[in-house]
Amino acid sequence: MENRDKLRRLVLDVFLLDPSEFRFDLRREEVQTWDSLGVVSLAVGVQETFGYHFTPEEATGIKSIQDIVDLLTARGVRFDN
Amino acid sequence: MYTLTESDALRQPERLHEAWDRPETFAFISEKNEDVGEWVRRSLELLPPEIQEHHFALLTSGSTGQPKIIIGPKKRSEALVETLHELQDSHPVEQTILALPLSYSYAFVNQWLWSRRFHRHLIATRGFAQPDELGHALDSARNAMICLVGVQVPLLSRFFEGREFPGVIRVHFAGGRFPQEKLSVVASHFPEAQIFNNYGCAEAMPRLTLRKAEAADEATDIGQPLPGVELSTDETGQLVFRSRYGAVGIIDEKGFTPVTPEMWVGTGDLGAQTERGTWKLAGRASEVFKRHGEKVSLYLLLTAVHRAWHGQAAFYREADKSGEEGHVLALAPSPKEEDVRAILQVFRKDFARAHWPLRIESMGTLPLLPNGKVNAAGIPAVPDRQVHWQQRI
Repeated sequence: MENRDKLRRLVLDVFLLDPSEFRFDLRREEVQTWDSLGVVSLAVGVQETFGYHFTPEEATGIKSIQDIVDLLTARGVRFDN
Repeated sequence: MYTLTESDALRQPERLHEAWDRPETFAFISEKNEDVGEWVRRSLELLPPEIQEHHFALLTSGSTGQPKIIIGPKKRSEALVETLHELQDSHPVEQTILALPLSYSYAFVNQWLWSRRFHRHLIATRGFAQPDELGHALDSARNAMICLVGVQVPLLSRFFEGREFPGVIRVHFAGGRFPQEKLSVVASHFPEAQIFNNYGCAEAMPRLTLRKAEAADEATDIGQPLPGVELSTDETGQLVFRSRYGAVGIIDEKGFTPVTPEMWVGTGDLGAQTERGTWKLAGRASEVFKRHGEKVSLYLLLTAVHRAWHGQAAFYREADKSGEEGHVLALAPSPKEEDVRAILQVFRKDFARAHWPLRIESMGTLPLLPNGKVNAAGIPAVPDRQVHWQQRI
């Protein structure tokens, strides 16, 4: 599975989004279930899926799905189509 | 004092009638409970002299799995079936079809004792353990009544898909969650039947309230107390009752506890009265717990799940990775992906994350207790469970 699909799947699972709601530019304030436990859940999911452990500052600083892509890309994870 | 087993009574129905007619108190137990039969026999010997005659005892494990003996006067239960007969308008009912164990207090009083008191025909079947036999009884039914528990509704669909049983004119539900969301399924099989929610518990011997299915929209609404029954809540929110039909004593591992007329008896459910004077359930007292500081009611969650899922469903408890108490949703049969999505959307829209299950998993069928309720504690032992979704924490 491509990394974009893995991330999409993870975000749908963690925030219980309907597939039609997913966008890479989706922002935290648009997702009601992106609460404090959701932040932890997302961080655990990223570690399980991509092997990267967010620092607490990184995890709480994420404001959009694109931020996750950017953070992971900076750590060498490729999100090419 | 003596015990009579369900298999004996089904083989020789006159033995149960004799037991009811004889003055000595007797215990009626399932053969599945034979391993606790000796405990029952020894316990009955310790009853106060005034209870050693004109009473009967039933064994219940309820939802907890801990055996309890409930003792009631025969006359009270006869009075209860007379009250129910009028309130449920059972006059046109000519026969009653057993689809639950006869030793289950609900079937024993609502069906066996009612059929005895009003000279109606009792048709014994082994329920969904022998679906062909049950189907034949339902096909042949004539102005019949049947008592079911909610968890049996998916079995109706599985074994009797597309079949109608117009000879059944009364369907009663008790012993678990009322299948409000599946009433159309029930009505499709029993197109001529009035459907009732008969709430109660073994200590009530066994009924406390009654409502017609169409009198409320929510499964949690149990209707009004029967005449002679008072409902209230205690300081913990547990629904408690006093009933002129109820037990006079309970035996459990602590020994014999008399139930006096002024005593409020716990139902094990949380409840509250509505503005309309009916009562609503808010979960099992034992199934409410705190997770991440939030009060989680498995009963309310299950009610919500059934808005999106029409198969079997139950929760069991499990600690999460951090040791915090959580819960797992078990479904049967295996859901489609869109079913899981629909259930998850219910959680997302109506509940904070602390209420979401740790996992959603499925199996061929949920394990049941002898009384037909789901054996939640037995689910983790079911092999080949399939995980459909899980939380990351």
